Amino acid sequence: MGDKFQTSYKADMALFQTLWVKVWLGIFAASLIVCPYFLSQYQLGILNEISIAVIGALGLNLLIGYTGQISLGHGAFVAIGAYTTALTSAYWGLPFVVTLPLSGVMAALLGMIVGVPALRLKGLYLALGTLAFGFIVEYVLFHWDLIQGDMGMAVKRISIGGYEIRTERDHFYCLTAFAVLATLCSKNIIRSKIGRSFIAIRDRDIAAEAMGIPLAKYKVMAFGVSSFYAGIAGGLLAHYQKWIVPGSFDLSLSVTYIAMIVLGGLGTILGSVLGAVLITSIPHGIVYTTDLVKDTYPVLGSLIVDLKVGIFGLIVVLALLFEPQGLAGIYRRVKLYWKTWPFRY
Amino acid sequence: MKTKTFMVAALTTGLLCLMAGGAFGAEVRGVTDTEVKLACLVDFSGPGKYAGASISDAFKDYVAWVNDQGGVAGRKIELIIEDGGILPNTSLNAAKKVIMKDGVFAIPFILGSAGASAILPLCEENSVVMMPHGANKKFFDPGNKWVFVPHTVQYSMACLAVEHILQKNPKARIGMIYQDDGFGREGLEGAQAAAKFMNSQIVEAAPYKMGTIDFSPHMSTLKGANVDWIVLWTYLPQSAAVIKQKTKMGWDVKLISNNTTGVPPLFQLVGDESEGYLLVTPYAPGYMDLPGINKAKEVNKKYGNFEKQLGNPVYPDYLYLAGWGYIAAAVEGLRRAGKDLTPESYIKALEGIKDFDMGGMCPNMTFGPNRHVSSFSSLILRADAKNKRFVIEESFKEPRTPQH
Repeated sequence: MGDKFQTSYKADMALFQTLWVKVWLGIFAASLIVCPYFLSQYQLGILNEISIAVIGALGLNLLIGYTGQISLGHGAFVAIGAYTTALTSAYWGLPFVVTLPLSGVMAALLGMIVGVPALRLKGLYLALGTLAFGFIVEYVLFHWDLIQGDMGMAVKRISIGGYEIRTERDHFYCLTAFAVLATLCSKNIIRSKIGRSFIAIRDRDIAAEAMGIPLAKYKVMAFGVSSFYAGIAGGLLAHYQKWIVPGSFDLSLSVTYIAMIVLGGLGTILGSVLGAVLITSIPHGIVYTTDLVKDTYPVLGSLIVDLKVGIFGLIVVLALLFEPQGLAGIYRRVKLYWKTWPFRY
Repeated sequence: MKTKTFMVAALTTGLLCLMAGGAFGAEVRGVTDTEVKLACLVDFSGPGKYAGASISDAFKDYVAWVNDQGGVAGRKIELIIEDGGILPNTSLNAAKKVIMKDGVFAIPFILGSAGASAILPLCEENSVVMMPHGANKKFFDPGNKWVFVPHTVQYSMACLAVEHILQKNPKARIGMIYQDDGFGREGLEGAQAAAKFMNSQIVEAAPYKMGTIDFSPHMSTLKGANVDWIVLWTYLPQSAAVIKQKTKMGWDVKLISNNTTGVPPLFQLVGDESEGYLLVTPYAPGYMDLPGINKAKEVNKKYGNFEKQLGNPVYPDYLYLAGWGYIAAAVEGLRRAGKDLTPESYIKALEGIKDFDMGGMCPNMTFGPNRHVSSFSSLILRADAKNKRFVIEESFKEPRTPQH
């Protein structure tokens, strides 16, 4: 059952390689279905934020983790998705099933344009280029009268086939379904020729080109795919929050997404998911801790509030220091420990 | 068989949860016979953290005072002070926490208009009345059922600033430096509206990005436009930087600004250079002998730390008084709603507030079904550098420029 030695390409390329994986995923899926009945609205709200973050993080990991192209403009693509949804639903009255793909496509188109300089830029220079794009988007959002600047604009609820999603529980099922779909798509992209080309470019672009991989095509494609994910995340975020303001999509959002994939594990799908869970949960964890101690130790409670940003940073630094491979690295080690137990290597 | 039993059990549990949810839904969130929960979303960690302590001091003192008197309609107030961080994302997280986790009845204070905009749908969806500070005109024009503003908004203050200049000198050439965001642009909008109303114009307007400290290009532009008054829609550090730049340039231009700069730290930042600096604000200076301010001091002495707060000459008393005004309006609404407290009855009660006496500390408050902003009036203060305090230049007054 746990045998990992494959005897065919088909088995080697299978999405779920062992029965154990299928069983655990089944249990996970079942727990996702029933958990809304046991969690509060607030806890479901946190899970909904995580689902959206997972989609965005998966996109960025495809770009940075798998293709090796740094981007500090991911937040801008999330914003483009959010505002595309908001504008097309508010002014053209388009339904959710149209606005959401449009968000992804619009972000992907702009992502591919931003990707063009990536053919000549690398490392810090590329980071600066994407950062500049982020600033341009932020400036436009703040000054475009149509979207009411930093006072924000309203976005309609998600409505599918006449059914309007209103509660946190409904949102949970909808957003989780999108997160699962995004995860499966990423997994499939990585198993395909496209994914292998991404990885080859990341590992050594000159060698990849020598092997016949067209760098221009795949680098631009990586930006497009990554931005598509960001656009979808933005579209869902806009519908979920029902109000968007430009301040929600500044540089700190891009940095947060980078923190997710670095802490989760660069170049792993699981890492994107775990990173999104961790980074989204930390602020809420701090809130829970503050609430727990504020009555018994009021000084400690207010100290935590004062040091909130510092605590967040400390957790990130410690995680990088003690687990540079991210949460996916921890997962791999734990898995290996149990697989080889009682023998240790 | 086992699978079937498990599925039936899971379905039954789910159904019970749904039914329980429905039963709880019939009650009013945050209200029991003995208690009502209110939340104050201030900033302890973001760009507006300088305001957090003073505003929460006022809320704590006022609530302690009310609870000491037996509460409102037999209910003690449970106050939840949460760090909203002023930014849209952090404000939204804080609002979710106080509404969904703590289950508050109302949010009688949230700092920052962008943050308040971000939480508006959540408040509407959960029937939570909110009171934004630093509120934008759009919160009362066209207005929203769930939003009440117990404070004069920036638009009205900017109108009054320009009217004050043009009444003194109808031919004054007015320039403006404003923060390039909702706060600053609302100031610009008000200033332009008032200038137009008075058959004048803002001859030059120079925006800056939040956090800017070097104002030499802005001041040079305005000097080039030959202005003799500058309206500043800036925060305290930027106002201080402009005052210093003005001295550096040796330019005798007159300055008038907004309420956020009317705090004692201005004198520490620019000293004597602040002399003659004007500002528009809805709150009287904390040292004044007015019934409302005296009451606040009395309560602060009993429940707060008077020596470090209102008794301290460098304490930002303006922010304390602003917080006081918000919680006073919220509690007056609870009082009027009485025993039968629901979101709808609370809105009706707040809309019924007429000429609520604030003892001179700020304009009396009046709300109505078509008016969710308490006042359009402000007063104009002048910096007295020698005594390191602000004195009244012009008493409370409504702008003549139409406010809708």
